[in-house]
Amino acid sequence: MTKNINDNICNEQLFSSVFTKYSKSLHDFLYYKFGEAFNPKDKAQEAFIKLWENCHKVSPSKAKSYLFTVANNLMLNEAAHQKVVLKFQKEKPKHYTNETPEFILEGNEYMLKLQTAIANLSEAQRTAFLLNRVEGKKHKEIAVLLEISTKAVEKRIYGALKKLRKDIKEL
Amino acid sequence: MKQEELIKKWLDNDLNSHELEAFKQLEEYAELVRISNGVKQFRAPEYNTSEELKSTLQLISTKKSRTNNWLKPFLRIAAILAISFSVYYYTTTLDTNISTLMAQKTTLELPDASLVSLNAESTLIYNKKAWKNKRDLSLNGEAYFKVAKGATFNVNTPEGIVSVLGTQFNVKQRHNYFEVVCYEGSVRVTQKLNIVTLKPGESFLIINGKRIAKEKETALNPSWINNESSFKSMPFTQVIHEFERQYNVIVNPQNIDLNQLFSGSFSHDDIELALKSITLPLNINYSLQNDATIVLSHN
Repeated sequence: MTKNINDNICNEQLFSSVFTKYSKSLHDFLYYKFGEAFNPKDKAQEAFIKLWENCHKVSPSKAKSYLFTVANNLMLNEAAHQKVVLKFQKEKPKHYTNETPEFILEGNEYMLKLQTAIANLSEAQRTAFLLNRVEGKKHKEIAVLLEISTKAVEKRIYGALKKLRKDIKEL
Repeated sequence: MKQEELIKKWLDNDLNSHELEAFKQLEEYAELVRISNGVKQFRAPEYNTSEELKSTLQLISTKKSRTNNWLKPFLRIAAILAISFSVYYYTTTLDTNISTLMAQKTTLELPDASLVSLNAESTLIYNKKAWKNKRDLSLNGEAYFKVAKGATFNVNTPEGIVSVLGTQFNVKQRHNYFEVVCYEGSVRVTQKLNIVTLKPGESFLIINGKRIAKEKETALNPSWINNESSFKSMPFTQVIHEFERQYNVIVNPQNIDLNQLFSGSFSHDDIELALKSITLPLNINYSLQNDATIVLSHN
């Protein structure tokens, strides 16, 4: 690790590198946790602007924690624990399909069930599970991101999977 | 147990080929893959890092300039407030200046309800703001005071200082003339090296730098308050000056002894009568010339 002489991120270059490093993770984290109703993009941006305004007080090593905490609080101020419903992208119709309409209908039904099941997950479970399954992050990466142990991440993800299976069967 | 381990490893994308085969044999395999694939469609919307960085940096720079823009009108308001406050402060702490012209009298109330009557051609200066802490005023001319009880009350004149603690007294300071008459309470007069305390009825009189003893005053207040000037053994020149002040005229005395003493009084309301009052006893003729000049001469 190289030591920084000026131990804050008021320098625009340093700020940009921090931005490049964390902004997508932050955005994805906010999206999976709170859904898109409260503008995860704007909240991520707001968090970075807050970071810039307080750049004297935040060392680069603390920047990530700072960003996630600030963004999370910004969300909590607005979201107030509403049910989070994520959107799924409609699959593009294939050029030549040999799927029967029943199959497509069943597929849609399945996706709706999945949507409800995901909405029923706890915030912690949903965030960890989707970061893992959708973004393809390893348990260890998620652990670093959320500042929890790898074991806890594994537990959350496995718990989420179990709950999804159960919910889908019941629905 | 083995099955849970496998699923967990699969979730972490950590299966080796051997384990992968075993995983595929699980009865849940199809279901798990379906969930896994289905979930992928809940992908977060595209996030373009470099674009977002650009817009964030832009926002930061506009925010900076916005704070400047916001500061400018604020500074303007602050400047206006500062100016108006200083003007207000300056005007309210300014000395209050009250003067009377020739043939004019006025009565005013000081901030502590003390009363001052100002005789003709006199000036009174005091500070409203400082009055609470220091009852101090400057007088040029003649004034009658009814002082409310309280801290020391100082009347500064060019001739001397009169200090009191709630009384009624008259101060008359004219050219080469300084007189203090106490009507109630007690008054201390400091004049050069003289310090005199006056009891009711006593007076302190200095003419041309000489102290002159006076009889005890019996009136309850100075006669000029009742529109009359009265004199007891007063050099005639003082009488003439007072007459000039009361009627706003110029008196031109010819071949008359101005130092002879005069006892008597004249009214402030009737110039003919007043002239007679001061000339007849001394056997002097008077003639009115064009409105404002009076010539006095011996027969």
